Amino acid sequence: MGRPRVIVIGAGSTGAATAHDLALRGVDVVVVERGEVASGTTGRNHCLLHSGGRYCVTDDEAGIECIDENLALRRIMPDLLELNDGLFVATTEEDLAYKDAFLEACARCHIPARELEPDRARQLEPFLTPDVLAAVQVPDGVFEPYRFCLAFLATAQANGAQVRTFTEVVDLDSTNGYVTGVTVVDRLTGRTDTLGADLVINAGGPWAEHLASMAEVDVPVSPTPGVMVTMGRRLNNMVINRLNVPSDGDIVVPQRTTSIIGTTSWSVDDPDHIPIPADHVTRMLDRGRDLLPEIAAASIRGVMAVARPLISKPGVDARLVSRTFECFDHKADGVEGFVTISGGKTTTARAMAEKVADIVCGKLGVDAPCRTTDIPLVDHRRFHARS
Amino acid sequence: MTITATLEVFRCGPGGTDRRFEEHEVTVHDDATVLDAIEAVWARHDRSLTFRHACHHASCGTCGILVNGVEALPCIADLSEALRQRSPVRVEPLRNLPLAGDLTVDVAGFFDRMRASTMTITRTAEDRLPIPTDGGDLRARPVEVADGLARFNRFENCVECGICISACPTMATDDRFRGPAMLAALARARVETDDPQERERLLDLADGEHGVWRCHGAWECTTRCPQQVDPAESIMQQRRDLLRRRLRGRVR
Ligand SMILES: Cc1cc2nc3c(=O)[nH]c(=O)nc-3n(C[C@H](O)[C@H](O)[C@H](O)COP(=O)(O)OP(=O)(O)OC[C@H]3O[C@@H](n4cnc5c(N)ncnc54)[C@H](O)[C@@H]3O)c2cc1C
Ligand code: SF4
Ligand code: FES
Repeated sequence: MGRPRVIVIGAGSTGAATAHDLALRGVDVVVVERGEVASGTTGRNHCLLHSGGRYCVTDDEAGIECIDENLALRRIMPDLLELNDGLFVATTEEDLAYKDAFLEACARCHIPARELEPDRARQLEPFLTPDVLAAVQVPDGVFEPYRFCLAFLATAQANGAQVRTFTEVVDLDSTNGYVTGVTVVDRLTGRTDTLGADLVINAGGPWAEHLASMAEVDVPVSPTPGVMVTMGRRLNNMVINRLNVPSDGDIVVPQRTTSIIGTTSWSVDDPDHIPIPADHVTRMLDRGRDLLPEIAAASIRGVMAVARPLISKPGVDARLVSRTFECFDHKADGVEGFVTISGGKTTTARAMAEKVADIVCGKLGVDAPCRTTDIPLVDHRRFHARS
Repeated sequence: MTITATLEVFRCGPGGTDRRFEEHEVTVHDDATVLDAIEAVWARHDRSLTFRHACHHASCGTCGILVNGVEALPCIADLSEALRQRSPVRVEPLRNLPLAGDLTVDVAGFFDRMRASTMTITRTAEDRLPIPTDGGDLRARPVEVADGLARFNRFENCVECGICISACPTMATDDRFRGPAMLAALARARVETDDPQERERLLDLADGEHGVWRCHGAWECTTRCPQQVDPAESIMQQRRDLLRRRLRGRVR
C-alpha cells in the first residue's frame, strides 16, 4: 500500500502548518486554497507573535500555549521574525492596579517579564505617551503572516507535498458516510476536477462552517471580525500593549515601515463581505493615541478587517471566548474521513497542526511522531522559486 | 457613505489567451481602496477573477498591479483618487513578469533572484529580554541605533512586490538583468553580514554584464517602490563599491 493521502483545505497558517507536519510524518499531502496563500484571515492579521501576555491573566491555557509556541517559532523560523519584544504600558491608576496580577500571571505561565522604569521605557520608545506610569517588557515579536505560511508550505513541498493555489473546493465527495475527496475548480484554467483522498482536513478558518456543511455536519465556528488601522509611519520599536484586560485599540504592532493599531471585535454572518464600520476606525485612532500620541500626526496607510474563526460557546461574549483551538473528528457526527481544525491563532498554528496531525495519523494508522518543534523551515522564497 | 465605481479589468484565458478588458460596476465604501473594489468584483460579480492579495496594508507584496497604467499596491491605493485620474479605473497585471491569469503574474523567476540574494527580514529589540531558546542560533542582532526613528527603516522593508521589475525599462530589454529588487537586496545582505568572504561573494553577484552595470539609470524603480527601498541608489552604491574594489586591484 502507498502512503496515505490527505487533502488539506485552506492555506492560511493552520493549513500551512498542518501540511508541513503531515509531510514530515510521511503522509502524501495536497493543499488546496481558493486564492493566494494567506488570502483569508491569516494574511490580514495583526502580525503579533504573541508572548501570551495578552491572555495570561484571564486564560492560563492560552498564555502558556503562546509562550511555548513563540519559543518554538524562534527555533524554526529565525529569519522570519522581528524579535522586538513588547511593552505592556500603564497610563491610568486602573492600569497600575492591574500590574501585579499581570506579573503574577506571567510568572505562572512562564512568560519572561521585567518591569522597566517609565523613563527607561520612554528612552527606548521615544513616541510613548509621557503619561506612562509603569511598563513591563515581555517577549512579544512580529511576523509577516504571508511569509509565515510560505515557509511552512515551502518546507512541506520540499517533503513532497503539493500546494494548489487558486483551487476552490466546491464540494466534498463521499460514499456511505466516508468522505473520499473533494471537487475543485481551478480558477486559473476554469477546470473542474475531483481529487481523491484517504482523509480530508478542513482548515478553512472562518469558512470552516461553510465547508463542513458540504458534508452536512456543523462546526461551532463563529466569524468574529476585528478592524485594524495601519499608520503611514513606524512609531514604535517594540509592540506596545495597554497593561489591562484586552479591549478595543489597546495594541500597536510595529511592522516594517508601519505601526498597526488593533483591534475591535464584532460578529458577521459572511466572512467574504466585511464592511468596515467607520466608528471602529475612529475608535482605533483615539485609543491608539492614548499610547502613542504621535499617531495624531501620522497618516493612515490602510484599514483592514478579517474574521477570527472563534470556537463559539453559547452565551459567552466573543471577547471572552478562549483563544485556544479545537479539533473536530466528524466521526462523532457520523461522517468518516473528515476532520476540522479551527480556533487558535497564527502564533499557535504549529501546535494546532500537531494536534490535528496526531488525530489524523491515529486514524490512518501512521505511526510517526511530531517533529515540527525543532526542524528549521526552509526559505519562504522557495515556495515560489523554481530553484 | 458609498461610492459607485466602474473598473476596467484585464482578463485572459489559460496561458494568457483571449486577452481583453471587462467592465464591472461596484458600489463600495467611500474610503475603499482599489483592492476593495477588485475584491467586490470577485465577491459579487465574477468568482473566476484571479488576483493576488493577503495583507491589505502593503506588507506582503502580493497584490502589485497597474492601476491606470502605473505600478501600485492596490491595497493602499485610494479608489476615489484613482477615479479622479481615470474613469473607469483600469487594472492590469504587472509588466516584465509572465502572465499567469487575469491580474496574476508568475513570480517564480523573481523569487529565484530574491532567494539568491540571501537577504533576511530579521531584526531584534535594542534591549532584549534574555529568552531561553535551547541554544538555537537566532541570527538576530541588535540594531545599530542612530538618533530618531529613521533607524526603524531598513532594507528589510522590501516586500518583494515586483513593482520595481515592472517599472524598470532595462528589465523590458534584458530578461537576464538581475533587476532592482535583487540588486538592492544584495547591497542590504552585504551590510548585514560580518563574513568578509560572504561580502565579496555578494558583491560578485551584483557585478557583471547583467548586474549593476546594465542599469540605464532611469530611476523608475525608486520612484515606484511603495516602500522607499531606493533600489536605484543601492545600484549606484554597488557600482562605486565595485570600482573601489577594482582600484584596490582585487579584481580577478
Ligand atoms: C483582527 C484579527 C487580528 C489577529 N491578530 C493576530 C495576531 O496578531 N497574531 C496571531 O497569532 N493571531 C492573530 N489572529 C488570529 C489568526 O489570524 C487566526 O487565528 C488565523 O489566521 C486562522 O488561520 P486559519 O488558517 O485557520 O484561517 P484562514 O487564514 O482564514 O485560512 C483559511 C483558508 O481557507 C481558504 N478557503 C476557504 N474556503 C475555501 C474553499 N472552498 N476552497 C479552498 N480554500 C478555501 C481561505 O481562502 C483561507 O485562506 C487575529 C485574528 C483577527 C481576526
Ligand atoms: S524594492 Fe520596492 S518595488 Fe522592488 S520589490 Fe522591493 S518593495 Fe517592491
Ligand atoms: S495585499 Fe499585501 S501588499 Fe497589498
